[in-house]
Amino acid sequence: MTTMIEARNVEFSFGSTPALRGASLAIDAGEIVAVMGPSGSGKSTLLHCLAGILVPDAGEIHFDGARIDARSEQERSALRRERFGFVFQFGQLVPELTAAENVALPLLLGGVRRAEALRTAHGWFDRLGLAGLEHRRSGELSGGQAQRVALARGLVAGPRVLFADEPTGALDSLTGEQVMDLLVTAAREQGTTVVLVTHEPRVAAYADREVIVRDGRINAPDRVAS
Amino acid sequence: MSVPLTLLGLLEQEPRHGYDLKRDYDTFFGRGKPLPYGQVYSTLSRLARDGKVVISEVEAGAGPDRKRYVITDRGATEVDQWLTQPVEPEPHLQTVLFAKVVLALMLDRPAEDYLDTQRRAHLQRMRELTEVKRTGGLVDALLADHGLYHLEADLRWIETTGARLDALRRTVRP
Amino acid sequence: MIRLGLRLAVAGGRESLTRLILIAAAVAVGAGLLLTTLASVNAVDAQLTRYASLYPGVSVGGDADPLWWSTREDYFQGTQIVRVDVAATGPDAPTPVGVPRTPRPGEYYASPALRELIATNPADQLRDRYPARDLGTIGAAGLPSPDTLLVMVGGTPDEVAKQPRARQLTSVGDTTPPIPETIVDLILGVVAGGLLFPVLIFIGTATRLSAARREQRFAAFRLAGATPRQISTIAAVEAGLAAVAGTAVGFALFLACRGQLAEIPFTGMRFFPGDLSLDLRDVLIVALGIPAGAAAAAHVSLRRVRISPLGVTRRVTPRPPRAYRLIPLVLGLTVLFVAYGYRPRTSDGQTAVFLPAILLVMAGLVLAGPWLTMVGARLLAARTRRPAGLIAARRLADNPKAGFRAISGIMVALFVTTVAVGVITTIVANRGPAQLGSTEAGTLSANFNEKPLAVPDRVLADIRTIPGVRSASVVRENPVRSGEGDGVIACADLPPAYGRCTPGATVAQLSSNFLPWRESASPDRQWPASSMSPADLRRLPVTSVVVGTDGRTATVERARTVLEIAYPVQFWVAPNVPGDFESDFANTMRGWQQLADVVIVGSLALAGCSLAVSVVGGLSERRRPFSLLRLSGAPVRVLRRVVLLESAVPMLAVAVLAVAMGLLAAHLFLRAQMHYTLTPPGPGFYAVVLVGLVACLGIIGATLPLLERVTGPETARSE
Repeated sequence: MTTMIEARNVEFSFGSTPALRGASLAIDAGEIVAVMGPSGSGKSTLLHCLAGILVPDAGEIHFDGARIDARSEQERSALRRERFGFVFQFGQLVPELTAAENVALPLLLGGVRRAEALRTAHGWFDRLGLAGLEHRRSGELSGGQAQRVALARGLVAGPRVLFADEPTGALDSLTGEQVMDLLVTAAREQGTTVVLVTHEPRVAAYADREVIVRDGRINAPDRVAS
Repeated sequence: MSVPLTLLGLLEQEPRHGYDLKRDYDTFFGRGKPLPYGQVYSTLSRLARDGKVVISEVEAGAGPDRKRYVITDRGATEVDQWLTQPVEPEPHLQTVLFAKVVLALMLDRPAEDYLDTQRRAHLQRMRELTEVKRTGGLVDALLADHGLYHLEADLRWIETTGARLDALRRTVRP
Repeated sequence: MIRLGLRLAVAGGRESLTRLILIAAAVAVGAGLLLTTLASVNAVDAQLTRYASLYPGVSVGGDADPLWWSTREDYFQGTQIVRVDVAATGPDAPTPVGVPRTPRPGEYYASPALRELIATNPADQLRDRYPARDLGTIGAAGLPSPDTLLVMVGGTPDEVAKQPRARQLTSVGDTTPPIPETIVDLILGVVAGGLLFPVLIFIGTATRLSAARREQRFAAFRLAGATPRQISTIAAVEAGLAAVAGTAVGFALFLACRGQLAEIPFTGMRFFPGDLSLDLRDVLIVALGIPAGAAAAAHVSLRRVRISPLGVTRRVTPRPPRAYRLIPLVLGLTVLFVAYGYRPRTSDGQTAVFLPAILLVMAGLVLAGPWLTMVGARLLAARTRRPAGLIAARRLADNPKAGFRAISGIMVALFVTTVAVGVITTIVANRGPAQLGSTEAGTLSANFNEKPLAVPDRVLADIRTIPGVRSASVVRENPVRSGEGDGVIACADLPPAYGRCTPGATVAQLSSNFLPWRESASPDRQWPASSMSPADLRRLPVTSVVVGTDGRTATVERARTVLEIAYPVQFWVAPNVPGDFESDFANTMRGWQQLADVVIVGSLALAGCSLAVSVVGGLSERRRPFSLLRLSGAPVRVLRRVVLLESAVPMLAVAVLAVAMGLLAAHLFLRAQMHYTLTPPGPGFYAVVLVGLVACLGIIGATLPLLERVTGPETARSE
């Protein structure tokens, strides 16, 4: 197995408040890893550092064998757009666009023609059990439907890594598990590596393994152990 | 709940009389369900037979009740193994988990590490159950869910305890 | 509750303070403009009243000895001088306003501006037109404007009584203005509309935005058990406080800028700063009306929160505007086109058709705006390939009313000013002063009111000796009333610069100023022959004297002065060159044009503020999806493009539409009413529009850094 994405001794502070103090984590290609930890432990910050949203104060981030934390904001944006996918807790759908257009958005941003992008997007609706909801606006979707649309948007461009930050945080447990089930199934089919930030054990149980972030450090047995 | 290992653990903290053992056990672990004297003494004699405890000198004129029990190396090794090994995760283990944590604190052992080990074991089991749930039928899934929710409750307790270990340490080690 | 509201407004942290300042600033601008408009109405009123008092009607009754009064127009270098001849018939005669006593024969008073001209120009060009004794300055009370050129000349009652339009007055200063004030009020009303409309929109948008941002907090109050009434009170106190502060600043702004405002020639003449006054009613309207209005707006904008303690959970797409909104616009344009083909005969009839039609088009544009926005946005949404265009177009199509609200002010302001500028430019182009250096620009003609039988040779000789004078001709009245011309002249006396006779003719019929109506002088012109003989001519009365000059102002003014001294009472209108009347008119028009420029830039800048506020509102509404999009790798420029497309594109489209509609309306009006073809406004107009648009875009652009800040990674933190 090759390492897909890796944090090496990453440190990050919000002003004078340290969030990460030397966090190290390596994730294999195709692996689904749950990042757990109590509130304020720095797990979201770790995800943001891994995804190139935040630049670590110290340490390195490697993606697919290359260091990415030293790249420019523009390059990291392009990387996020082209190689990464994202699912957030809630509210990532643009309210003006239909569900299908929201799913097609990453493709449109990547320069894919509109008709083609929409065709690809429609394919995901069947896959995620959303058929018939293509033309709804985000305000007309239930929480679970909206998260499934968000999941489709996160995966539509065929990302190498999917970053999911509390993807079920705003859902009830049954709906949340449906979303997780779809997420894991789709990620496995595509061979997508998944970084899943959650504080819920039942959500983390969908992952291949978990790491615990505590006080800005990662408390995890080596991969070999699991 | 393993009474012999719990008594052994208490003895590892310091040698005690049978009466003291019962009192401490009741204080920490026997909430609402005191340990009968008979069980205390029968357990102690079994432990003595197995060479895990020895009886130190009987104080003069103190009667049969004044025996002092001291843990042996063998007994200490057993306590050590017990405390570091995760419990087989299944429902209704809280009291075992609790006893382990409290004893670890009393004995100044790394309770955090124990909790992490336990969490990992729980999560591993949850992963297995989740897999059962995802691949099996509805009955399997519901059974798995039953286990998952209980394990989740354990895990929540582990998180809560983990966050309050320092306070607990101060309570059990005055 | 009121005290709690006050405390929340003032001590509610930096954000609430910023909000307070924002609303207060909007209110200040609005209050300042409202005060300016009210003061301008008063100023125009005062100015027109004093102007009218220069043309008094006959007043009778009373025991006083009457005062003879005659008003005439004179010119100097293309500007109008108002000359009043007065003569007291007895000791009790009223004294004209603005002077300490009625001037006696041989005396005069002059306005400061005229005294300045007299002092700085050679006597034989201006000073010699007036009597020997300069009594001093006419006070402000007697002057419409500080720029007014006014001379009040004393004469004997007999002399003045012979003057054209001479009348007897037994009292002065109590005349009602004969100039229809309602028209000026209407014009000022349109101006105020052009400026105030955007201001009101701005205040409305700002209040609504802040209300939206407070919704959550108020919803929390509701959950804590506050009654809807209490919430409304708190909101109204906050808005009212900002409005009171803003109104106070508005008054300060107005007072500070009054001097500069007086300099703007709203009526073609500057005001005295004192004319820009406010009466108690005006002060009360602004001081009470604006805070009350702001508080009311806060009440209205919080309706939703008052319904539910949970605030607004889901935004529903408002009902799309319907096509019936087009009816007034289409109707207005139809009326204009019909009137273009079939013109009402009377002038009143024309006004009755055109004014409502243009107002209809204006109102129609505002009403049709949301529908047009929606249609345009839907087209854009269907065709666009870029995600930014899609998002922006969808938002506009979803809620075109909100998208159009901020720019409706531009629509009105640009339409009104374009019509005005188009009409003004065309009229000035068609009737402006003759070209410098042309023959007609140097042709001074004097038309006699009481036609004498001869002009003394001495006068003609005096004129001919002025350097630069090329000819001086006497034109006699044509006894034949024909279309050929009202004057006749012997062919021998016709200066060749103005044309020639038909071969063999001895007497020509021609215009009394040698210039055919609206045409230029030409040596090649053949004037039709008259049946008169040169000998008959001597028996005909003189209708005019025409002086051909080199066109230099000194020559023209000298000749004019000689003629005026020779004929002190015979001219209604002083000897004039074609440019005199027109350039005076053009000056007034230029004043209006300056005003139009101010309105254009002002309304566009204000619309920019409105747009900026609605941009901020749109951003805070979509803060989360936008920042998450950015986290997912969408470049900031995509979001920037969304913001610009949502605000700048409709603004630019509306600007183009309003200008185009304005030019069309102006053209139809001019064709039908005056038979002029529209002369498109010069580059200056477009430059002004451009400056306004750039200012507007600049203000919108100022919100873009905010976009980057609010969509930073910290928004994504879900914990």
